[in-house]
Order: sequence, then C-alpha cells, then structure tokens
Amino acid sequence: MTALFTIILSFIGALVCGLMPAGAHHRIRWVALAFAAAGLGVSTVCCVNYSGGEFEDFLEAEWIPSIGISFVTGYDGISLPLLLVTGLVAVCGVLFSWTLESRANQFYAFYFALIGGVYGVFLSLDLFLLFVFYEIAVVPKYFLIAIWGGARRQFAAMKLVLYSFGGSALVLLGMLAVFFLAHDASGEALKTFNLLKLQQGQVPEADQQWIFPLIFVGFAIMAGMWPFHTWAPTGHVAAPTAASMLLAGVVMKLGAYGCLRVAVGLLPAGAQDWAPWVAVVAVINIVYGALVALKQDDFKYVIGYSSVSHMGFVLLGIATLNLTGMTGAVLQMFSHGVIGALLFALVGTVIYSRTKTRMLDELHRLIDRMPGIAWVFIVAGLASMGLPGFSGFVSELYVLIGAWGSLSGWIVGGAGLGILLTFGYTLVKIHEAFFRERKTSDPGDAEISYPAMTLPEKIGVAILLGSALLIGLCPWLLTDKISLSLERMLERFPN
Amino acid sequence: MDYQQLLLALLPDLLVVVALFAALGVDYSRMRGSRLAERYQMACRISAAGLIAGLAVILVQLTQAWSFTALASMTDGQLELNTGTLTLKALLYAMGLGVLPLAKRDQITPQVSEYFALLLLATLGMGFVVTSRNLLGAFVALELVSLSLYAMTVLNQARRASAEAALKYLTFGAVSSGFLLFGLSYLYGATEQLDLNQMTGLTDEPMLVLAYLLIFVGLGFKLALAPFHLWAPDVYQNAPTPVAGWIGSGSKIAAAALLIALLKPVSSTLKDALIPALAALAVLSMVVGNLGALRQTNLKRLLAYSAIANAGYLLVGVVAFSEPGNTSVIFYILVYSLASLGAFGVVAVLTDTLGRDAEISDFNGCWTKTPGLAVAFLVFVLSLAGIPPLAGFLGKFYLFYAAIGAEPGAASWNDGFYWLVAFALIMSVVSLYYYLRVLKAFLVAPSDDGKAASIAPIKIGWAAGVTLCLLAIAVLALGLWPEPLLNLLSD
Repeated sequence: MTALFTIILSFIGALVCGLMPAGAHHRIRWVALAFAAAGLGVSTVCCVNYSGGEFEDFLEAEWIPSIGISFVTGYDGISLPLLLVTGLVAVCGVLFSWTLESRANQFYAFYFALIGGVYGVFLSLDLFLLFVFYEIAVVPKYFLIAIWGGARRQFAAMKLVLYSFGGSALVLLGMLAVFFLAHDASGEALKTFNLLKLQQGQVPEADQQWIFPLIFVGFAIMAGMWPFHTWAPTGHVAAPTAASMLLAGVVMKLGAYGCLRVAVGLLPAGAQDWAPWVAVVAVINIVYGALVALKQDDFKYVIGYSSVSHMGFVLLGIATLNLTGMTGAVLQMFSHGVIGALLFALVGTVIYSRTKTRMLDELHRLIDRMPGIAWVFIVAGLASMGLPGFSGFVSELYVLIGAWGSLSGWIVGGAGLGILLTFGYTLVKIHEAFFRERKTSDPGDAEISYPAMTLPEKIGVAILLGSALLIGLCPWLLTDKISLSLERMLERFPN
Repeated sequence: MDYQQLLLALLPDLLVVVALFAALGVDYSRMRGSRLAERYQMACRISAAGLIAGLAVILVQLTQAWSFTALASMTDGQLELNTGTLTLKALLYAMGLGVLPLAKRDQITPQVSEYFALLLLATLGMGFVVTSRNLLGAFVALELVSLSLYAMTVLNQARRASAEAALKYLTFGAVSSGFLLFGLSYLYGATEQLDLNQMTGLTDEPMLVLAYLLIFVGLGFKLALAPFHLWAPDVYQNAPTPVAGWIGSGSKIAAAALLIALLKPVSSTLKDALIPALAALAVLSMVVGNLGALRQTNLKRLLAYSAIANAGYLLVGVVAFSEPGNTSVIFYILVYSLASLGAFGVVAVLTDTLGRDAEISDFNGCWTKTPGLAVAFLVFVLSLAGIPPLAGFLGKFYLFYAAIGAEPGAASWNDGFYWLVAFALIMSVVSLYYYLRVLKAFLVAPSDDGKAASIAPIKIGWAAGVTLCLLAIAVLALGLWPEPLLNLLSD
C-alpha cells in the first residue's frame, strides 16, 4: 500500500494546486514542492524496504470483473529505479520552475496529473490499469507544452500527442489480442489483464509473432525509437523546462518500461524472434541521434537528439535478452532520466534565463561570463557522454557487454561508433557554447557577466548530479535489485 | 389483462403526460399575460416536476417492488420492463430533466409551453422505444420522438437557417422512417410476429436480409451513420442548442437500443450476411465523421461530425453480435450521450447571449472568464475523445473488447474484427486532432477581448450549473466505476 501513495499524493497535488488562486504562485510552488518531495520520499522508502526479486507491496482488488479487469499494483526491481527517477525529476522540475508565475495553479495541476500517471504506469500490474495510467500521462503533456511552451509550441504539442496516441492505439490492439489469446498450461483461455496471471500462462507462439511488434513498437514510439522519434526533439524543445525534464526524464522511460514489462515480459518467444531487428533499430537510434545532434545549432535540440541517442542504448539493452544487457537497459533508464533532465534544466532554464538565447552561434565564451554554471554543464555533459564515475558509464558498459554476449559483432561495432560520436558531439557543443569566441564581434555584449545560480537551481543540480554520481560509484545499489527481478523474467524464456 | 398492473407499469409515462398537459394548460390560462421569463419559469417547473415524479416511480419499479415479469407476453412485447430497459428509461428521464434548465435559459420562442411539451413528448417517446419489444409499438414511439424533434428544430422562427435545417431534417427523416417501416413490415412478413421476444434464430433468407438492410437505412438515419448523415451537421448547427443536445443524446440512445433489440433474434447465418453491411457503415461513418470534423470551424457542426464518427465506433460493438457486444453498445451510447449533452450544455450556456452561431474561436480564453465551464468542457470532450479515466474511454474499450472477443483467433489478417478495431483506433487518433483544437480554444488560447462579439462572462444559473456538474461527475464516475451500470444493463 505504501507505493500507492505516490499516485494518490500526485493526484491530490494536482487537485490542490489547481484549486489554489492563480495569483498565489509564491504559495503554489511551495505546495508543489511539498507534494513532489512527498512522492520522492515514498519512492525512496519503497526502495529502501525492497528486499529482492519478487513483487512487493502487492495490492489486488476487483475493479471491473465483468471484463476481466482488476486493480493490481506492486513493484519489483525493474520498477523501483523508475519510481525513484520519477520522484527525483518531479522535485527538480519544481525547483527549476521556481520563477514561473503565469497560470501557476494550472501548470502544477497538469504537472502533477502527468506525474501521477507516470507513477501509475510503473506500479500497475494489470495491463488495463497500466494502459489507463499511460494515457492519463499524455493529455497533460499537451497542455503543458501548448500553454507554457516556447516557439512552435502548438505544433510540437499536437505532434507529440498524436504520436503518443498512435502508439497507444497499437498497444491497445495488442493488449486485447493478448487478453483473448493467452491460455494456461492446460490450454484454457485465461481472459485476464492481470500481468502476473498472464505471465503464468502463455500466448501461442504463432500469435506472439505479430502481437510482439504491435506492442513493442507502440510503446517504443514513446521511447523515441527511430523512425518514430521525431516527436521527441520538437516536443522537448518547445516544452517549458519542467515539462521537458519530465519528457526526457520519465515519459520516454514509460515507453521503454512498457517494451520491457509488457512486450518482452509477456511475449518471450516473439521477443526472441524480433530481437535482432530491435537491435538494428536501436543502433540506428544511437548513431543517428548522435549524428543529428552534431549538426544542431539550437542547444536544446542537441540535448533533444542526444536523448534519442541515449534511448537507443535502452532499446539495445532490451534487445540483448540477457541479464547483463537488460540490467544495463534499466540502469540506463535511470541514468538518462537523471542526466537528461539535468541537461534540459541547465539549457532550458539556467542558461536560457540569463542569455535569452539557445542558439549556439550566439552563445560565446560563457566560461568567462558564467563560470560556475559552465563548469556544472561541462560536468553534466561529460556524465551524459559516459564518463566513468557517473551512472551513464556503468549502464552503457552493461549494455555493451550484454550485446557482446548475444548479438552480432556489427551491432556492437555500431554501438561503439555511436559512443565515439557521442564523445564528438558532446565536446564540440561544449566548445561551441562555452569556449568559442563569437564570429561577429559585438564588444559591448561580451563584457556582460551573468548572475550565479539561484538557490533552487543549485539544489536541483545537486540532487540530479549527486544521484548520477552516487549510482555511478555504487551501481550495486540498483543493479542488485534490478537483476534479481530480471532473472525472474528471464526464467520464463523458452529454451 | 391485469389493468392494475398495466397502470403501475405505465405510471411514469402517465405522470409525464399529466405534466405535459399541465404545462400547456397553465401557460394558456393563468400565465397568459405574464412576461416571457415567468412563463418559461413556470413551464420548466411543471415539466421538471413531471419528469422527477416519473423518474421516482421508475426507480421504485427498478427496486422490483412491483413485478412485471408477465407484462411482456400480456402486451405482445409492447412493454418489456426489466432491469436493463428500466435503467435506460430512468437515465433518459434524468437526461431529459437535464435539458430543461438549458431550454429555460435560451428563451428563443414565445411558444413556451409547446417547447416544453415537445421536450416531454420526445422524452416520453424515447422511454417507450427502449422499453418496447414490439415492432409497431417501437416504430410509433420512435416516430413520436422524431416528430417532436423536427418541430423543436424550427422553434426559433427568427432564424431562416433553422427553418432550412428543420425542413432537411423532416424530409430526410420521413424518407428514412419509410425505409424503417418497410423493413419492419418485411420482418413481420417473414416471421409473422410483431413481438421481438417471440422471434428466434432468424436465418439468412433473402427477405430477412432485405428487411434488415432496410432497417439499417432507417436507423442509420436516426443514428447519423454515414451515408445517411447529411442532415446532421445542418440540424446540429441550426437547431436551438439544447434541442441539438437532445437530438445528439436522447434520440441516439433510443435508436441504438432499438437496433440492438432488433438484432437480438438474428441467427449465425443471417449474422454473417449482415456483418459486411454493418462493417461498411462503420468504416464509412468513421471516415466521414472524423475527416469531416477536421475542417469545421463551427463548434456545433464539429460536434455533429463527431456524432457521426461515434456512431461508427458504435457499430464496432454491434458487429460482435454477442452479449458483451450488446451491453457495450448500450453502455457506449449512454456515456457518449452524457458527454455530448454536457458539451452542448456548455455551448448553450456560453452562447445563448451571443445571438449568432458560435465559431470555435469565439471560445478563446474561456478559462479566464468561466474556468468552471472550461473544466467541465474538458471532461466532456476528453470523454468523447476516449481518454481515460473518463467514461468515453471505457465505453470505447468495451466496444473493441467485444468485437475482438467475438472471434479472437487470428490466423490471417481478416480473421475476426482485428482490422475493424485497428481502423477504429487509427480514426480515434485522428479525432484527437480536432478535439484538442477545440480544447485549445477553451483552455490554451488567450482571450481576445478586442473582439466585441466573443463570449462575455455570464451567469450560469444554479439549475444549469448543477446539471453540468452532475453530467461531468457522471462521466468521470462511470469511467472509474462502471461495474454497477454494466450489471444493470446486462440483465
């Protein structure tokens, strides 16, 4: 029951913030911070209490028995890191929106509705319930982007929502097929959406062949899978900072989590047959995302495409279908959630609010003019690049080792190329933004030095960078839990 | 025949008829010289009293204090009062009650008592359609509904467009009624039965196939299925908004319930002959409705196209030809109607002072002027779009569930209804574009105060406010906890 409070608190938070008067943004942000922190607290408690392997904090109740729908929640080692990252990003999102004044009550209403949906997905153990939460998380994104976003926000918001619902349409179809086709050992139809019961039974192998791509692609659209990734950069760029942190930090993980928990978890035979294709697409994601990031002029687009590239590692990890690779995938979800959110916060709020531009050719020698912020960004950029000591290094290493074990050498080579390209664009873009002299000289402008980070920004940076560092140094804090639960999932694989 | 039992069974309808005559009589005698507002007030109160009394009696009937088990056979199926039909009738009366305060606000005509009398007549007819299992009884009741609605469409005599829309509605409607009656007569000719309960296992003889095709034309018109939808956009746009709301909700429930009742005796051979026609209607309606709605700039017209699209989704449940399918269709049309009535209610409240058709852009900045209405509208439109946790999502899910469950095996792509469900899902994604465009005006866009004609802050009035609030709560509650209603309907 403990974990359920993350969902309940978020929705109560949405209601409370929404009902507060619009002018009271000073009070609203404290209320929002309190609710976000409470959510983080609950997920931390869950994480600390969790012992291993099985589902804990299990809750099962009848909901709509006439169509086989029950209310089942619980978490295991796969959902825990994601609960944690949701809590972290939710708190930091509030911190980095500290100065938001326009329609603050509505902003946090949508913000918490989104977070509640995300927590719900990670905790649901009933396919229908999971889908409901998954869809609940979509609509608030539209409003967050369309109301508070930047340039081209209407377009970006609509594109993001249509892509999301396109994905859910595929998932829904696959989900209904699983419901009707799954049977138990004796061949009797299960007719249930309960994930645990579905895992006990199985879907006929011939049907897994076509259901797996439906569900996998449906979820992977939200994970930014090539060629359906284009919503991600435009959406991230147009979104207000807190929303782009959530988008990159947790919403993309919803998709990856769905791929892992539902597509791979329920359809192992389908997963085995399709894994090589998934791996190919994942490598395209890694390499293509990095190449496109290299060519961007807008700092936020660079981060947007780097997200696409990093999500490729998650997909690659899932495609390995072995313990090491999949552990890496889950760890990469955590890692990119934290670091991606940090990068978006730095570019979208910390740098942009001072320079009023995100175009790389207009930024120049920021290292002199905002040294503190510049060094924080450089550290974050290196963390994203996979510097040892940060979580990104560990997770990508796990994924590559896993891929070496089960996928062809070309795939691993491609991923290695992707890592080199990641080094390339990270260093090039850091150079362009922080060290390069501006081509057109405007002597007056170059003298301006910018104010240092505010306290909320400092706290936010400390939380996100600290957790990336902590997991980078002590990955066993999470990997132990992740791999115990993944073992349970892999036990059910044929052969 | 046990007349006492008949009286008890028909007591709700009698109460409504009494209220109808009371409204007419009082308006013509005591209120003769009164101001328009007072006459509206009085007529609305009398009608509301009648519907509330009727509703109360239906609720007592639902508790099965009186037993009507033998009634259906005694009356040749004219009255089939079981839990399912009584629930539908109660919901129809409750929704009719919700239309009254909206009609009272919008004082479009000096013929006050006629307006309310027609509203009550339409509600009465809908109640009969859903409780009747007799071909003739159901047809007459459906005509009662239609004729009342034709007349109400033209009540605003100041608008030429209303007259044009009503004329279209009447001509199309008359032709379609002809088709329906023709189909019913073939059905009677083939089975020699008027009582639907007595018909079972109808096979695919040509006469019956023809009968059902004719019935689809007739009911397709009432449900605004493409290609019989041509009247809908004009009527929705030009009828008084509360009337359009009632056309888009109550009459749809009646028609869908009748369609399900008529399809129940179909055997599997006839079923196979009818499915292609139904599937074609479904696909066509989804395409016409969703693609048509993309281009609309008028909100009521957009809701008309959305109604066409939703009628298409509805047929996805009909083709299942199963118990869950039938329940899902009735459930869906109910939740659709609640949301549709709510959406029209919000439009009615916001635009009845505007004095002209409301374009979508007229609602810009609604969130600053009337945030409550904007939130209510959000709930209604998201339910129409099928977003959880609102009832519209569950309704749609249940339709697809039933369609796939009818034939879950899938050896090739055209086995079962996977393709139809996939098509409906794609179309739902398309529909999101226009629903969000409307919501953008309500919730995202800043208000353009420079424009003189945009909607002004207005007094909602307690009755309309409570109605909209209850509708929004119902839409949310049925999404979160549909089980009780599903159980009542599947009885």
